[in-house]
Amino acid sequence: MNTSSLVLEARNLVVNYKQHRAIDALNLRVPKGCVYALLGGNGAGKSTTISTFLTFNRPNAGQVLIEGRSPHEHPDLVRDKVAYLPENVALYELMSGLENLNFFCALAGIHLSREQASQLLSDSGLQADAHVKRVAAYSKGMRQKVGLAIASAKHASAMLLDEPTSGLDPSAANDFAQRIRAAADSGVAVLMATHDLFNAKQVADRIGIMKAGRLVEEFDAHTVRHDELEQKYLAHARGLA
Amino acid sequence: MIAAIIRKEFVSTLRDGRLWILGIVLLAIFLGFFLASTHELKQMRQEKHSVGMTAKEQWNTQSVKNPHSAAHYGIYVFKPDLPSAALDPGLRPFVGQSLWLEPHKRNLTRFSPSTDQILANRFGQATTSFVLYALLPLMIVALTFNSVSQERERGTLRMLHSLGIAARSLVFGKLLGLLAAFMLVLSPALLIALLLLGQNFSLGPDDVSRLLASFLMFLIYYTIFAAVSIAASAFFRTSRVALFCLLAFWLASVFIAPRLGAVTAETLSPNPTASRFWEAIKTDIAQGLEGDGTHEQRAQAFEAQVLREYGVNRKEDLPVGFVSLNRQHNDGYSVRVHELHFDRLRDNFAVQQHLTHLASWLGPSIAIRSLSMAMAGMDLAHQRDFEDAAEEYRHYFIDLTEDWDRERSHGTERNAKGQESDWRSVKAFEYQAPKIEFALKAALLDLMVLMGWLFAALMLLTLSANRLTP
Repeated sequence: MNTSSLVLEARNLVVNYKQHRAIDALNLRVPKGCVYALLGGNGAGKSTTISTFLTFNRPNAGQVLIEGRSPHEHPDLVRDKVAYLPENVALYELMSGLENLNFFCALAGIHLSREQASQLLSDSGLQADAHVKRVAAYSKGMRQKVGLAIASAKHASAMLLDEPTSGLDPSAANDFAQRIRAAADSGVAVLMATHDLFNAKQVADRIGIMKAGRLVEEFDAHTVRHDELEQKYLAHARGLA
Repeated sequence: MIAAIIRKEFVSTLRDGRLWILGIVLLAIFLGFFLASTHELKQMRQEKHSVGMTAKEQWNTQSVKNPHSAAHYGIYVFKPDLPSAALDPGLRPFVGQSLWLEPHKRNLTRFSPSTDQILANRFGQATTSFVLYALLPLMIVALTFNSVSQERERGTLRMLHSLGIAARSLVFGKLLGLLAAFMLVLSPALLIALLLLGQNFSLGPDDVSRLLASFLMFLIYYTIFAAVSIAASAFFRTSRVALFCLLAFWLASVFIAPRLGAVTAETLSPNPTASRFWEAIKTDIAQGLEGDGTHEQRAQAFEAQVLREYGVNRKEDLPVGFVSLNRQHNDGYSVRVHELHFDRLRDNFAVQQHLTHLASWLGPSIAIRSLSMAMAGMDLAHQRDFEDAAEEYRHYFIDLTEDWDRERSHGTERNAKGQESDWRSVKAFEYQAPKIEFALKAALLDLMVLMGWLFAALMLLTLSANRLTP
């Protein structure tokens, strides 16, 4: 892998929550245009990994790098280079999708015209009549689309997705996967924490399986079939691997 | 970045049903009280004016009599209230509304409205100022207790952090956005209040300055509550804990601190009882102040001095009335003793007012109460200024009657006479309340305490921002 194309990297990352080791010597690399799916059960350390890239946590040892620099030392990296989509895209209920998009973009230093904002929402799959409705009336899928629009507006070089398809209906999840794939094809590095094996196989280039804070297996997503992926995942989950 | 947060907070707060429900209810209460207090103030000003005119006319139409007897008829004077007193009646319910001016003795103000009220009212009365200093901060607490904790609970704080937003920008943006929305909701009531005042009273530049200063001070007061609330919301993990703590702060500031302050002040610097106060004056007049001798000794010395000055051996041979001269001499001494004791008493009131701030660590409400009263011209300093002006007027008309008495009699005669033209020549009491500079100077400590609280609240907000985690 050409190091100049590396966007996200964890080097011997260790994160502790009080006495508990949430991440233990994690090494992973996500180059430009790659979708990396982190699989694992609850408490495996997937979300903590994402949180560490976002500087919500500080590493106890090792480091995370965004385009070769530590976001903990250069806080503007997160704002400038990363788009984040959590499991539940948290938006302001009293504002419309359009207003939320404008607000979050303004915080990132991006000022959109109404037409540009509307176009971004439409490109993310949100129907035009929903743009000006208050978010309180949105479904989870609609919120994800606003989140995706925010991410697109940022023209980020990396996307961090934390259980992005959890709770979406199959059609919405499929639609979302296609949009993530399109983002990766345009050069964005995507790190996605998920439980959804189907989604991971469908969209990812590489898959890593985490257990108790460690990356226990990593492989090319294109080299495994769905049933093989499921067997690998279950074997690790049951402690058979 | 901060502009976007301010705008978002402004819009969100305006769309929040809580603001409108609380705002409309509180503003209805505010306007209700304000209408009532404007009406009451207008009525009181008319009554004071009309009773003052009647009292002066009764003075003017006294029959032919001895000028000193006429002086004993006395004159009532009334403290005129400023239009801004409609916002805050201050000490009016507790201090007297009129002063009875008579020879020989300086009186305390009398006829305080609280003595005319029913028992229930003595346990506390809702006023416009109560809405301003007690209820509106409660509304701010209700609007802001979850301003940051809710962001944490809903996950938007993580979204904001992921955008690299500075925590300080977030909390200060929230503060400014909330205040802007709050002021927008408050402004119709303030405008209506201003219109009502303008309609009912003639507002001079000083009145407008006082109202503006009050408005600014209350804005600082609300900023303190908003900053503390947002800081608590950022500091505590859940909205519920933040709400409990903020309600405790509100209670402590609005209700506990003033009472605690008053008790502390009374304990550290007690006032004499009324009987002891008057007794001390009586004793000092009779026994004399240090080195002055007793009343009899002073009287003998004065008599000898007068006889020497006029070159006669007997009082009966004096070309002017000795009775009046002697009375003026005694009154002069009495004035000195009264002044000493009154100043001591009023200085103690001022000390007590400063001592109440020992409880200001509980909240800024003591400071805003004092400032609001000062701007309304209804505090101790304005009361003292009025009493001093009335005392000066007392000297003026008593001296005038004594001049007539002395010049129209000889020796020990008591047959000097005055008539209606004399009584009418006594000018009416005209009191002009001091300007805003006087009020600001008198309330300097309160202003410093309020600014201290503002500084502390903003520091608290900064500290809470520094330790804010998603």
